[in-house]
Amino acid sequence: MTTVNLRPAGYGIVRAGRASFLLHRRSALVAVGLLLLLAAASVAYLCVGERFVGPTEVVRILLGQPSPSTFVVEELREPRLVVALAVGAAFGIAGALIQTVARNPLASPDIIGISQGAGAVTVAAMTFGLTSYTVLPYLSIAGGVLAAALVYVFAWRGGLHATRFVLIGIGFAIALRSLTTLFMTKGDYLVAQQAQIWMTGSLNGRGWDESAPIRWTLLLMLPAVLWAARAQRTVSLDDDTATALGVRLGGVRLGLVAVGVVLASVATGVAGPVDFVALLAPQIARRMTRTAQIPLLCSALTGAAVVVLADLLGRRLLSPVELPVGVLTAAVGAPYLIWLIVRSRTASAGGKA
Amino acid sequence: MPAAFRTRRVLATSAAVVALLLAVLLSLAVGARAIAPSTVFDALLHGGTSPDAEVVRQLRVPRTLIGLMVGAALALAGTALQGITRNPIADPGILGISQGSSVGVVLAIAFFGVHSLTGYVWFAFAGAALAAVAVHAVASGGRGGATPVKLALGGAAINALLLSVTTGILTTRASALDEFRFWQIGSLDGRDTQIVGQIWPFLLLGAVLVVSVARGLDALALGEDVAKGLGQRVATVRIVGGIGATVLTGAAVAAAGPVAFVGLAVPHIARAIVGSDHRWVLPMAAVIGPVMLLVADVAGRIVFPPGEVPAGVMTALIGVPFLVTLVRRKAVPA
Repeated sequence: MTTVNLRPAGYGIVRAGRASFLLHRRSALVAVGLLLLLAAASVAYLCVGERFVGPTEVVRILLGQPSPSTFVVEELREPRLVVALAVGAAFGIAGALIQTVARNPLASPDIIGISQGAGAVTVAAMTFGLTSYTVLPYLSIAGGVLAAALVYVFAWRGGLHATRFVLIGIGFAIALRSLTTLFMTKGDYLVAQQAQIWMTGSLNGRGWDESAPIRWTLLLMLPAVLWAARAQRTVSLDDDTATALGVRLGGVRLGLVAVGVVLASVATGVAGPVDFVALLAPQIARRMTRTAQIPLLCSALTGAAVVVLADLLGRRLLSPVELPVGVLTAAVGAPYLIWLIVRSRTASAGGKA
Repeated sequence: MPAAFRTRRVLATSAAVVALLLAVLLSLAVGARAIAPSTVFDALLHGGTSPDAEVVRQLRVPRTLIGLMVGAALALAGTALQGITRNPIADPGILGISQGSSVGVVLAIAFFGVHSLTGYVWFAFAGAALAAVAVHAVASGGRGGATPVKLALGGAAINALLLSVTTGILTTRASALDEFRFWQIGSLDGRDTQIVGQIWPFLLLGAVLVVSVARGLDALALGEDVAKGLGQRVATVRIVGGIGATVLTGAAVAAAGPVAFVGLAVPHIARAIVGSDHRWVLPMAAVIGPVMLLVADVAGRIVFPPGEVPAGVMTALIGVPFLVTLVRRKAVPA
């Protein structure tokens, strides 16, 4: 594969009745591969635990047949797996959208202040004695959205400038993180530890009830994500070209950021700011598909795979002690990204965000 | 216009130096025990054994020195890293160098039984150096060498990896968390002259390295090909600048903990004031960095008396309005 990566030849035409569209062959292959990986990881996730359940048995339970292990798999492990999948996918999409708008591969929800906003509100609530797990997720969702809205308002000046947006976002992010650490050092030692675990991101004890917000959000946001997948292409052009082509840059960017922010905030509310999924997944996906843009579907699948694998490891690595998932997402994702960077063959493969 | 601009630059630089002197004076005079400026001068020039003189010499002078050194070091390191990676949001934190120090310190606390600030220094330093070497090794793999995007992404990936090591240790060892959470914020409190003695040679070395590639950074800002065409050895500029930035970051983090924000924001503020010529930006950053850190430290001493808010927290809270105003005022290139 030493050819230059600008090749329209990489596309195939898919015909369905009278409709037809272009399909990036490599992306499709990667997506199928990721789906297979995800399916395998999910089955493994359901098998492994305090009590091992055989893969065939897991598949039979999933197909609805009675089994003595139904309770363990369906009531204990499945909800948590669903949260892992949903959170990973949400972070993957959010990261892809925000990196596209910011035109910076280092940008992600935890860099423009969403995670920190959620963190500051949550830790503040914990410090003031509010520890109920029914209220905290909604508080952190509100915190994330609020932080992003503030960044957007301050970065808006007759238009949204990519660099200005990221810089102001990162400024707010650091300020909010400082507030969080202030709460942590001034507060009680137990609150600090609890807050530390929340801020690492954990899926521990997440059941069907806790996962409701993220499942509904993903479902409701699906049309918006489909729109984003198309709109994303236009904003990756430079400002002048896009404007000349008749793209309303301000509106499109606002839309893309809004979709990303909602997804990231809800995911953070459910699982805490699971580090680096949003940063790493889009870059891993783009390097696998070798497309010019960040592929949304593959980012979502990569994000989900990283979170599921990380939680699987976290549950079993030091059992019976469980490591929070956020500790291991980077350990799963970062080596792979490093490997992709090191063996990148074409000089231009690392050339664009 | 060029002449006017030059005058403006000189004026701005002089103003910054005056601000620095004021910040130093404030840092020496303000605190739990307020000391009149005349007494401060007296204590510095003539010594004396009054309680005020003791406070100034034993506590405030080392603290102010550390603030000066750390502020300048982080600002210079941030400027160099932003130039090398050509990424406006690059800074020692996001590229994993500070995180390397954190891993060093966490290991020191959790496994080597080191519990003093002077003991942390070498662990922090070694961590930063290893992290930087790893980032460069990752980025220079593959074809095309260490391009800006690969450096930035490699840094982010290493940062992620190191953070998971840190949190992994902290979530399993509660006692380490209790000690580390105070170091992690970054503070100038409780640093004595011994630390100043430990880090100043490194700061000097790092500053010289970074300043020596100022022209190279200017050329690199025009793009890699243009820089090569102008006769710059791009790889050398990157490596020398990178070593300089690493040494500066390592020393600064070793002395004061990973103070965020200075390395990111000060280069932007400096550029907004004196333009993009690195021979002006670097000195300007080296002056503004300490101003920001010292003012934040002083503010931290007086907001919640009798307690103190660490400088690492106050810098961001005080600095964000400046960053937002400047970034909004200036038309930043995309």
